[in-house]
Amino acid sequence: MTPIDEFHEVLRDPAAYGRKLREEGRRKIVGYFCSYTPEEMIYAAGAHPMRLFGTGENIHLADAHLQSYCCSLVRGALEGALAGHLEFLDGAVFPHTCDSIQRLSDVWRMNVKGPFHLDIVMPVKLDAESAKEYMADVLKRFRKDLEDKLDAKLSDEALKDAIVRFNKIRGCLGRLYEMKNKNPGIISGSDLYAIVKASMMMDRGRVLDLLPKVIADLGKKKATAETAGRRLVLAGGICNHPDIYRIIEETGGTVVWDDLCTGSRYFEGLTEEGKDPVTALAERYISRPPCPAKHAGLFSRADHLVRIAKEKRAEGVVFFFLKFCDPHAFDYPYMKEALDGEGIPSVMVEAEDQLPSEGQLQTRFETFVQML
Amino acid sequence: MITAGIDIGSITSKAAVLADGKLLGTRVIFTGYNSEVAGRRVFEELLEELRLDPSALRKIISTGYGRNSVTFVNKSMTEIICHGAGAHYLNPGVRSIMDIGGQDSKVIVIDEKGKVKNFSMNDKCAAGTGRFLEVMARALEVDLDGFGTLSLKAGSPSKISSLCTVFAESEVISLISKGERRENIIAGIHESIAARVAAMANRVGIVPPVVMTGGVAKNIGVVKAMEKKLGVSINVSPYAQVNGAIGAAVLAMGIK
Repeated sequence: MTPIDEFHEVLRDPAAYGRKLREEGRRKIVGYFCSYTPEEMIYAAGAHPMRLFGTGENIHLADAHLQSYCCSLVRGALEGALAGHLEFLDGAVFPHTCDSIQRLSDVWRMNVKGPFHLDIVMPVKLDAESAKEYMADVLKRFRKDLEDKLDAKLSDEALKDAIVRFNKIRGCLGRLYEMKNKNPGIISGSDLYAIVKASMMMDRGRVLDLLPKVIADLGKKKATAETAGRRLVLAGGICNHPDIYRIIEETGGTVVWDDLCTGSRYFEGLTEEGKDPVTALAERYISRPPCPAKHAGLFSRADHLVRIAKEKRAEGVVFFFLKFCDPHAFDYPYMKEALDGEGIPSVMVEAEDQLPSEGQLQTRFETFVQML
Repeated sequence: MITAGIDIGSITSKAAVLADGKLLGTRVIFTGYNSEVAGRRVFEELLEELRLDPSALRKIISTGYGRNSVTFVNKSMTEIICHGAGAHYLNPGVRSIMDIGGQDSKVIVIDEKGKVKNFSMNDKCAAGTGRFLEVMARALEVDLDGFGTLSLKAGSPSKISSLCTVFAESEVISLISKGERRENIIAGIHESIAARVAAMANRVGIVPPVVMTGGVAKNIGVVKAMEKKLGVSINVSPYAQVNGAIGAAVLAMGIK
């Protein structure tokens, strides 16, 4: 199995992978939602942070608790928990982001028996003067909560080690993105997607074995003439759809960067090493590129997207939203306007975890690519 | 130079042939189960009607949802691009197109050269499409061709508020059982479609002059309801249904 195959293998059945880790019994497993979860702390407390996603299956258990206007990430994750697919978890962590994730936290706490439950009530206005101090306090509280729930000690030394480890992972992912950006043909969009997503789920020791290998393998690939595909940036929340990359590539585009929670927002911004680890983490999590459930200035998200599009030499931007994700939907008009102002074309596509008919998606992407 | 466009839609397949940019003829058939067969058949039937030998055609573009199922064409392009080119060919002044087909509805804004500048497309749901009308025609036992003229006789259109085709059908059935006049129900159905497509038009920001294309443009009731909703006048060419195929044939002239 090649390193890339190993990443794909984890995504094929994440629950099976979770059970396998559980049987090996090295670390307790803490599931989490959203890239604002300080994985470093979970890891330093001796547990394994494993990101949770929705499901492509039909949803019938979760809908007894959630309204149909909740996104399929929230409904799908609850479905998995209620169906008993997540029994390998020792705990679950819910950062305070959008309304639906906050309510998922409540519904989960009351209905999913077994794993412990923790909220991280982080600040919303990340640019406020008090945000950094507040965030540091939130992390201190989270640290203590983790120690209690995991019955473990979370030392400064372990936390510093974890920061170094996760910096390496984030750094490698950034490096891979840069390589693809320079030479889009060397790795397919769905392979890179699998690597980033599986890096949030897999044993992090293994991730750190594999990532340098992938980088070395790609480095050896002859620099092909930039693939003919139109250079696109994918922007939105989570992407749970490897097929999207294939469809975009088949219609003559190629994703050269993204602004996704399952992409650059996860790895951009390293934590400063060699200072008080909690302060350093607080700084990292409030200064990384923000998600629309947070506020970091009136224009920060649009400025960031425009900057990405220019720096990464994108010809167009594809907004790819989970249906019913209101934070992204509310931000969309002003972000589109910012792109329009710079003459950067964009298109918006919404989907649930279950993709709409491929023909429709193809027509949209193909038209957009032909418009460029 | 003779070029052809084949538009394989979800309900009908259309073909158009141009000679040196002049429209020679068009044809429409039902697509049925096999879109490849339908694409080939509509093309061959049109050639036969025009007494053209297939060897005279070197440049063919396919479009529509079945565009990739035919292999004898030079290229395939999306129906959005083709509708832009077709509308521009038929009337170079046009800036916006509302295309309502069998399973999709689209609003397309084009520039002065017929190139697509912006578009919006319905997702997932058949509300505001030709299929929606077909379902309603069956519930009302009215031939779909009669829908347009019947609706113009409506006193006050019924209110159909469901977005979902299945629920809207049950709304229609309860209106029928209440004894509501057919004309009013049909006019209500048209207003419901117009509301769906007008929402897309407002999102994209349509620019007049506006044309309507696709099979549903043949329904005068939908066109009138749409004009009222949007407050603009809407032109319908006699080639509305074959507009995409014509656009494909126009674009085929550009194949090197």
